[in-house]
Amino acid sequence: MSSRELSIHRIMRKRGDGLAAWRIFAYVFMAFFTLLTVGPLFWLLYSSFKPHADIVRSIFSFPTSFFVENYQKAWTLGQLGTMILNSVFYASIATAVTVYLALAAGYGFAKFGFKISNVFYIFFIMGLLITAHSVLVPLFVMEVRLGIDDTRLGVLIPYIGFGLPFMIYLATSYVKGIPNSMEEAAIIDGASYLQIFWTVIRPMSAPVVATMLIFAFLSNWNEFVFVFVLTSRQEIRSLPVGVNAFVGGLSRDFGLLFAALVIATIPMIVFYILFREQLAKGFAAGAVKE
Amino acid sequence: MTTKQDKRLSYVVLTLPSILIYAAVIIFPVMFSLVLGFTEWGGYGAPVWNGLKNYSRMFADQIFLHGLRNNLLIVAVSVFGQIPFGFLLAYIIYRRLVKGGRLFETMIFLPITVSAVVVAKLWNQMFSPSGMVTGLIRIIRDDPRFVLQIFENRDFAIMPILGVILWYYTGIYMVIFLANLQRVSPSVIEAAIIDGAKEHQILFRVVLPQMVNIVFTTAVFAIAGSLKSFDLIFTMTGGGPANYTTVIAIYMYLNTFRYYNYGFGSAISIMIVALSLGLITLIRSVFRRFEERYE
Repeated sequence: MSSRELSIHRIMRKRGDGLAAWRIFAYVFMAFFTLLTVGPLFWLLYSSFKPHADIVRSIFSFPTSFFVENYQKAWTLGQLGTMILNSVFYASIATAVTVYLALAAGYGFAKFGFKISNVFYIFFIMGLLITAHSVLVPLFVMEVRLGIDDTRLGVLIPYIGFGLPFMIYLATSYVKGIPNSMEEAAIIDGASYLQIFWTVIRPMSAPVVATMLIFAFLSNWNEFVFVFVLTSRQEIRSLPVGVNAFVGGLSRDFGLLFAALVIATIPMIVFYILFREQLAKGFAAGAVKE
Repeated sequence: MTTKQDKRLSYVVLTLPSILIYAAVIIFPVMFSLVLGFTEWGGYGAPVWNGLKNYSRMFADQIFLHGLRNNLLIVAVSVFGQIPFGFLLAYIIYRRLVKGGRLFETMIFLPITVSAVVVAKLWNQMFSPSGMVTGLIRIIRDDPRFVLQIFENRDFAIMPILGVILWYYTGIYMVIFLANLQRVSPSVIEAAIIDGAKEHQILFRVVLPQMVNIVFTTAVFAIAGSLKSFDLIFTMTGGGPANYTTVIAIYMYLNTFRYYNYGFGSAISIMIVALSLGLITLIRSVFRRFEERYE
């Protein structure tokens, strides 16, 4: 320990009572919040293994045996397998397209030095304020006229459009930070701009692309209103919309209801465990002080 | 020069697809909504111009006003609940006032990954007669027959939902603050400690002034997010009972897609955008004053 650290240590100890009170408060506050967060999720998980009668009879009791029938029934009755596949389809395609387009546009806006870029960029940033609801009516009318309402394409396009503003914001600010010398060297070597995009910018943007992919995937996976309004066929609906419809009709069997909710939650919890770091970065990136 | 042309062409190839999709999905529909908001239109035939009638009708409608009130309560809970709580949680972890801050962080952030639909249905169960909340109140009040009746009260029906919103989103703000706190230079805090600063002085005099910008940004997030709130409440209560828990976005949805008043619905969605712009401008001027005081 250096002498400086030692002196800080001594002062820390002298700070005494005030800090101790802070620590107690900190533990209580943290524990309270954590309990509040995890408690309901834990209750949901273990209740999903109880038959309906037990859930109603005793609220807090743990399951006496694993009643997996809830899961078997919920899976087949709710067509949750189909819904999960649909969600995977929407979320992966929309995410891949959005991230690719945003990185391409971000490169254009950040490095080409055209004045019009600023105009476009501001237009995209303004889109962060627009809510899905303010375009639902025209979007619905437009899709009906084009005959793409109630189709998978009609769902993907708004997913992509609404993903773009934030993704372009992330991509543009990152690509701006890539040194020009990399690009210039490639130009001297006779590379075209599109080659530079693919061989220089894309690999160098790998960190931001990872954040973008994961963040976009989560928002697309949890997206509700577009599928809800723009589709009506059961077989093309996504997991949140399907679960909403299925669970909404289940006032008679809470066991099934809980099981369906757990099934709907598990994919994202796994995703969260795998990509926690990147997700947090995505949320934080929007508000990091430049 | 060919290279210049080449550069232009590459620019178009790179940016045009995004611009086209964005224009088709957001720019054009927003302008469409703006115009449609001044008309009466049921979805077929030509829209009939009716000036500002939709807007006057909106403000004369008790349901809209109640929804507006609920929206403002959500804004309040976001700005004065989620932001301070999120900040405090982040501060505690950042200053290492607890051991295992990382674990706490992971747990508190967890709800964000759960979709709004699941959160809504889970909390519906929590508040139901066979739910955890009811169960806990029964134990506390020693009344095994207690059932929640708060949803039958026009003024208070929104309160449990405000609690759920706090539960759902506080983790986001914690993560945002944590990322930014990590940029505060540790030497400043060490210096303050050497000067004998107490923990609350470090919090209020050293750290918080550096966070004013972030608080502003999160407030903008909170406002925009609050006025958008639809998924959670719609799947939880549908705005009911008797519109007690309605918000503007639900009011818009029902008018448009249940009663087929496309013109009126558009006017309501324009109102949502106008309200968030208005509130953000307001909060911006408040923060300007704050910054002046600190600098």
